[in-house]
Amino acid sequence: MALVRSELRKVTTTKVLLWLTIATVAFSALNVVLLVFLTPRAMDLSTDVNFLLDPAYVTNILGAAGSSSIFILILGIIGMTGEYRHMTITSTFLVTPKRPRVLIAKGIAYALLGAALGLIAFASSFAVTLIALSREAHAPVDATIALQILGGVVLAFAIYAFVGVSVGALIRIQVAAVVGALVWVLIVEALITVFVDWIGKWLPGGALDAVLQTTNVTGRGGEDILPTAAGVIVLIGYAVLFGTLASLTTLRRDIT
Amino acid sequence: MSPQGQLLTVTSLTKVFGKVQAISDLSFKVQPGRVTGFLGPNGSGKTTTLRCLLGLVQPTSGSARVGEHEYRELSHPATVVGAALEASGFHPGRTARGHLQVITDAAALPAARADEVLALVGLTEAAGRKVGGFSLGMRQRLALAAALVGDPGVLILDEPANGLDPEGIAWLRSFLRARAQEGRTVLVSSHVLSEVQQTVDDVVIISKGRLVQTGTLDELTGTGISQVRVRTPNAEVLRLALTAVTNNGVETRVEIVSDNEILVVGIEAAQIGHIALREQVELHELTPIGNDLEALFLELTAGGNPGGAA
Repeated sequence: MALVRSELRKVTTTKVLLWLTIATVAFSALNVVLLVFLTPRAMDLSTDVNFLLDPAYVTNILGAAGSSSIFILILGIIGMTGEYRHMTITSTFLVTPKRPRVLIAKGIAYALLGAALGLIAFASSFAVTLIALSREAHAPVDATIALQILGGVVLAFAIYAFVGVSVGALIRIQVAAVVGALVWVLIVEALITVFVDWIGKWLPGGALDAVLQTTNVTGRGGEDILPTAAGVIVLIGYAVLFGTLASLTTLRRDIT
Repeated sequence: MSPQGQLLTVTSLTKVFGKVQAISDLSFKVQPGRVTGFLGPNGSGKTTTLRCLLGLVQPTSGSARVGEHEYRELSHPATVVGAALEASGFHPGRTARGHLQVITDAAALPAARADEVLALVGLTEAAGRKVGGFSLGMRQRLALAAALVGDPGVLILDEPANGLDPEGIAWLRSFLRARAQEGRTVLVSSHVLSEVQQTVDDVVIISKGRLVQTGTLDELTGTGISQVRVRTPNAEVLRLALTAVTNNGVETRVEIVSDNEILVVGIEAAQIGHIALREQVELHELTPIGNDLEALFLELTAGGNPGGAA
């Protein structure tokens, strides 16, 4: 617990958390605005359907917070690689020479942060959704579904932050880790999913969508997505896999 | 009661980085209750040795122990060993107090301890300022504060005097002496012997990753060779008189620097003055050069890699 508190102190005494919180909230809100105002109108030109009257589409809007998951992954990556970048890893390992403990404590601390950010992202995007929809004719907002999506976002962000910490432990160079993660999430995984569709749901992004319980991010749904519980297990599996690999390799390296 | 110091034992320590042999079969001990100077030119392997002691670098072979244990086996290392390795290793956006409280949290120490050690190193007024704006001297003090947080019995400081002003160095000297007198183990590295000469009881001198000399400072001084610069209009007369001196087997040598200047090796200034008086030679200058220990140190560590990575 002492180590988790130390990790929370590290992240709250610097600015990174603030910026990524702003980014998460802003991106979620932007997504809501696009989904409510832009997409239906763009579609309206060719079809005559008002998407906002479709309950599934409204559910989609409620899941907008999930679209900012990438910032949570980056938060975790920066949390770990920042220690190497600023060489604070020296004092961290001096206090806690059993290094895997640092990784676990950091993972737990960032999971808590991820959960909190999930709550904030959902709450803010939900407020924006209600305001935006108040001026439009729309299908009713289902409270049960909203709560279910809230739970999904909180859980997904918590695990995803831990995945970020593990990735950062494995790839210690901050720029490489962040760029690598972005390329993977935005390009590589999307391409793999397109060409080998059965594998997509087992990849980190696919598992994340399963936990988020929304098809908002990648448009995956139905057969292409794991059940929520399976998604949770697969996503935790990635955090543990990367963390274990790091413990056996990069985490052991000399700190010079 | 102050925490007791522990014996530090480095045994046959060897570290190879890729193709570079940083430390070769290095063995020495550091006693509690004394200040030990760990000396060697830049790139001689001092920092690597200290990092092996602190579990940050894995030795290729051999061991480095604190008391009976390797550092990584210590359950509460912050209360056993305090280390200040370099004046980097701070997040520039974090305050001095924040930096220390990250450590007190992890070591399960009260957060108020941060302000106590900041007061101890004279950084109270800078406690709430971001480390990014700190001078090198302030960073050194903060690194020392971090080492002291757990009130450890062993202090390991890498070049702690770097960037300190003369006042700061004087303060550091008396501080380290006091800690040693309490029975703690104090190991201080430096690449300049004169910097720690007034502070240390024992010395461990290494060069190119190998042990050159270890023992008390007094023992080392015993082997010291004095060098004196003499300026006189009668250089040749004095040179002949000095060359005749035999000092109980100590090697003496007189080098002619110019027409009116000679360098005398192995004869103390007082004795040269006495001989000059006897020979009625007029003296314009009689200066012990720098430090005889420094000369010895340079001689012992000759062939190091100046400018190499520490």
